Amino acid sequence: MYFEAEIKNGRYKVDVTEGRHQWKISIQKENESWVHHEILKSDYRRSESYFSFLFKGVSYMMDVVGKDTQYTVFTRNSFRNVKIFNDEMLLHESLKRGGGFGGDMELKSGMPGKIIEIFVKVGDVIKANKPLLIMEAMKMENEMRATADVKIKEICIKQGDSVESGALLLKFEKP
Amino acid sequence: MFKKILIANRGEISLRVTRACRELGIRSVAVFSDADRESLHVFLADEAYNIGPAPSKESYLNIPKIIEVAKQCGAEAIHPGYGFLSENTNFARACKAAGIVFIGPTPENIEAMGDKLSAKALMKKAKVPTVPGSDGPVETAAEALSIAKKIGFPIIIKASAGGGGKGMRVVRQESEVESAFRACQSEGLNYFADKTVYIEKFINDPKHIEIQVFGDTHGNVVHLFERECSVQRRHQKLIEEAPSPSVPQEVRLKMGDSAVRAAKQINYVGAGTIEFIFDNTTKEFFFMEMNTRLQVEHPITEITTRTDLVKEQIYVALGRPLSFKQSDIKQYGHAIEVRVCAEDPETYKPSPGLIRACRHPQGPFVRVDSYAYPGYEVPIYYDPMIAKVITWGETRDEAIERMQRALTEFILSGIKSNIALHRTILKHPKFRDGSYTTQFLEKNFELMEPELFAEVDDHVFLIAAAITAYNDRRSKDVSGLNISSSWKKIGRKMMLRT
Repeated sequence: MYFEAEIKNGRYKVDVTEGRHQWKISIQKENESWVHHEILKSDYRRSESYFSFLFKGVSYMMDVVGKDTQYTVFTRNSFRNVKIFNDEMLLHESLKRGGGFGGDMELKSGMPGKIIEIFVKVGDVIKANKPLLIMEAMKMENEMRATADVKIKEICIKQGDSVESGALLLKFEKP
Repeated sequence: MFKKILIANRGEISLRVTRACRELGIRSVAVFSDADRESLHVFLADEAYNIGPAPSKESYLNIPKIIEVAKQCGAEAIHPGYGFLSENTNFARACKAAGIVFIGPTPENIEAMGDKLSAKALMKKAKVPTVPGSDGPVETAAEALSIAKKIGFPIIIKASAGGGGKGMRVVRQESEVESAFRACQSEGLNYFADKTVYIEKFINDPKHIEIQVFGDTHGNVVHLFERECSVQRRHQKLIEEAPSPSVPQEVRLKMGDSAVRAAKQINYVGAGTIEFIFDNTTKEFFFMEMNTRLQVEHPITEITTRTDLVKEQIYVALGRPLSFKQSDIKQYGHAIEVRVCAEDPETYKPSPGLIRACRHPQGPFVRVDSYAYPGYEVPIYYDPMIAKVITWGETRDEAIERMQRALTEFILSGIKSNIALHRTILKHPKFRDGSYTTQFLEKNFELMEPELFAEVDDHVFLIAAAITAYNDRRSKDVSGLNISSSWKKIGRKMMLRT
């Protein structure tokens, strides 16, 4: 299960896989590489109000309060407010950004989805706010538009591709 | 001995008095507001009565109601704790009129110290040092200069109506007096429409140091040495210690003598505290005010002087002479108290709510005065302080290390608490070397703040949140299937119909 999570120190991508004997949890801080953790179920204890696991040889008693998208996690007299972005929120965010992010020189996918149509070719000069491509996510077609005047340097996907959140779609250069 | 005492308070201080009562074989009576039915002080007292709605004004400050309950249950005395009605002369008088003993000072004692100006005049009479200054408006720059020369630099010139840093000038040498005086006058006039200014001695490195005093109805007054309470934010104390690391022994004795003179000046009865502002550079001290009640931080005095101040209050209220003489009182080792509050340690915003897990520190030389327990909901109506952790050590370092140890054992979840803040303060070099002043949290602390939560890896929090979110979503998916879609429901209905 894939999440995006935000705490005070930054935004993270989180992937959780439950196995028979362990949880595999991969965490990636923005612009850093993935870190993989394995929490053994044999080291995992659960009671009504808290659960405990071993992390790097240290037992933590965790209490997690909240639901859906807002959690407060307590342990060892420290706590973090953790915001979990669900698909709807990611989509909403992504739409606000015109479907993608990545700064001025590239377009990245803001959510997992499928490329339906590409309107541009390498070398094209596109005016700001003109459509670049259509991506389907959450059963909706999203038109991604240029946020500034750009020249297409490279197209990293083709029609029909499925892309992960954060995948590089297009590279630009100054027109 | 009294047979029954009503405690007109709530939370940990109500518990503290109940404990003293129980040890003395006195029945304790708790009172509670609608918001406090489940507060620990209600469970642990021998009797408990509701005194009204949640807002303090309608319950814990409701004098007629409390007197009525005391009469009905047959309490012979009332202990007011701290805060609420503890320094209310009307309440002290109402108790007397109802034939109930008020465990505290006389109404005259409270009145004498209630007004700051008259208190200062009384203290001058008792030869207790007060902050030197003009003691009234200063009319001309020449007058300002002569006062400054008399009290010595640095001085502070203040516009009477001033505030928020406007109309205030610290002056460190003669040549600056005239311009500063004019600036304060004109700022006072421009910002507050009042050009009255006065002058006080400026305290460079102010520390809050207070002396515990105790008087009885036979004219005896004894002091129980000092407590340093300079770790404050917005004039609320956070950490207290006894003895103070900054007070030399000869100054300590002088402060004690002054405090006794101050209390004797007003024939003080019961437990009281003389607060001094202490100049850490010159080691001078000046009277600020007197608190005519038991203090929150009384345990560090109890522990270092081996006394029980609440029992002593009860004895004095019975008319007994003090159970100790000045020569009996010594300071043993070092004690520290931290106030654990239900609040965000970064923003200091209160964080009321349900306590899910709670386990208090244990082990040698640790005292916890707390009313927190798992399942208790901290109400929004009252003070956010839920617990006091007190540790003792042979030396200051040992007491600090012991406090660090105790705080790591303190498990509290569901609400935010300032435990992490305390642990960071206790590590701070300014705290460790004892040089901290009342401006410590505002001036010296920012540097340490990122460390507030550094102890636990961010990934630990993310893993816990991820597993929880994962489980939440998976169980939701399953229930989603069970409820099924409306189309299926309609379909099923249609099937049943035919």
